Amino acid sequence: MSSRLGAFLGSSIGKKTLMSLTGLGLVVFLIAHLAGNLTLYADGTGETYAAYAQKLKDLGPGLWFMELGLAAMFVAHIALAFRTSMENREARKSRYRVRGTKGEANLPNSSMLITGTVVLVFLVIHLLDFRFSEGLAPPHADVLAPKVVDRLASFTGAAIYLIGGVAVLIHLGHAFRSALRTLGVHHPQYENLIKRTGTGLAVALGLGFVSFPVILFASPDNYGGRGAESAQVAPAEQEQAPASGSPTVPTAAPAREEG
Amino acid sequence: MIATNGKDTIGLTLNVWRQAGPDAEGAFETYHLNSVSTHMSFLEMLDVLNEQLLAEGREPVAFDHDCREGICGSCGVVLNGQAHGPDRDTTVCQLHMRRFHDGDTITIEPFRAEAFPVVKDLVVDRSAFDRIIGVGGFVSARTGAAPDANAIPVPKEEADLAMDAASCIGCGACVASCPNAAAMLFVSAKVSHLGRLPQGAPERDERVVAMVQAMDGEGFGNCTNVGECEAACPKGISVGNIARLNRDFVRATIRRR
Repeated sequence: MSSRLGAFLGSSIGKKTLMSLTGLGLVVFLIAHLAGNLTLYADGTGETYAAYAQKLKDLGPGLWFMELGLAAMFVAHIALAFRTSMENREARKSRYRVRGTKGEANLPNSSMLITGTVVLVFLVIHLLDFRFSEGLAPPHADVLAPKVVDRLASFTGAAIYLIGGVAVLIHLGHAFRSALRTLGVHHPQYENLIKRTGTGLAVALGLGFVSFPVILFASPDNYGGRGAESAQVAPAEQEQAPASGSPTVPTAAPAREEG
Repeated sequence: MIATNGKDTIGLTLNVWRQAGPDAEGAFETYHLNSVSTHMSFLEMLDVLNEQLLAEGREPVAFDHDCREGICGSCGVVLNGQAHGPDRDTTVCQLHMRRFHDGDTITIEPFRAEAFPVVKDLVVDRSAFDRIIGVGGFVSARTGAAPDANAIPVPKEEADLAMDAASCIGCGACVASCPNAAAMLFVSAKVSHLGRLPQGAPERDERVVAMVQAMDGEGFGNCTNVGECEAACPKGISVGNIARLNRDFVRATIRRR
């Protein structure tokens, strides 16, 4: 059985199947992550957001388990993506002088490696911003909202999170439908539905994540940032706020039991 | 009569990939044709080019062709980045020069993939497909004498879908047009064609595993579901076959003895 599994995972279809499964798992994570982040908009103080972060922390070992599972999915998905991309490059070393299309190639399906790499770079920054901002232990739930707001109120922070959100949007534009097809789901009756669902998911999640840098950059004072406590703080001072925060953090980062 | 710009002849500039042999360095050469009949097929236009080259004492352009009726799978080049040219469901032998305009420049390249090494000019070695077929693209059960018609009932829908898959002529346009040089559409067509019919069903699991292993071994790329293969396929083979291949492969991995 193990050799059977090994042969499967060593095959092109096996690798793509695992990429699809982990990719769909990551989409589920993104949905949960965005839902958690949206609590930031629930009030102007960040209290709901802090309560949500605290709830995650209270999961204790359960949260560790979820984080490890999430990390495993990320690592598998990314490693397989780079491996299959390298194989694809090897499969055609001489390029066409003229690159044509019969209408099926588009931005999302032709740029999965690029958008995926951007998301990976963003992910590293994002984890350093929040999940590991206080070392291995997760940051305190009550300081998280101001951290997020302060990070996104800065120009560089907003730009990074905007780019990350847009990359997620484009990446997901192809991801859902492609994953389902790799898993064998295709039916003439449902192709349009699958396509629309994938596009809808990409737009909803992408715009959801993009909304944080846009809204928090425009009006940080309304969402429990430092500015909310002392509305007169100079912008320069705001930017120097030690903690960086992003909307995406809460699921992975804030939740863990301290110590 | 359809004519381009009201004329029956057009002038063209051709950038053609020339490569003396498998190990030779290739390069583009530019040729001008002054009066190409719009009623010619694309391959006939290449014939005219070769006549001109021979008259000038130069080496003619090598290209694959056989039936020139769109059913044998021999021909295939990439025109301006599109395998078999701009039309859907059309082999390059069935592409007509009326599709082009006077003064057009056409870049003609061979199918490019490591698994399809160039033999000469526009001719590529597609024997990788033959080797994939050789490991399972057939029915090996001894069936005795030909059975009576309709002795083996096949549901109409299955027969239609099997025939759709069987219309694959193995030209390799799917590989040429795939951004990853993957051969999934070809393999999926063969696996679906045989697996859907009662005669091929008993060997369905062994066949799919063997053919996918052979496909991977030939150095084709991985499928990223872009769909350019379906668009370039002169026989309109559906990517639904690829989904079916994926299902079959997983199922065979689990239940194969």
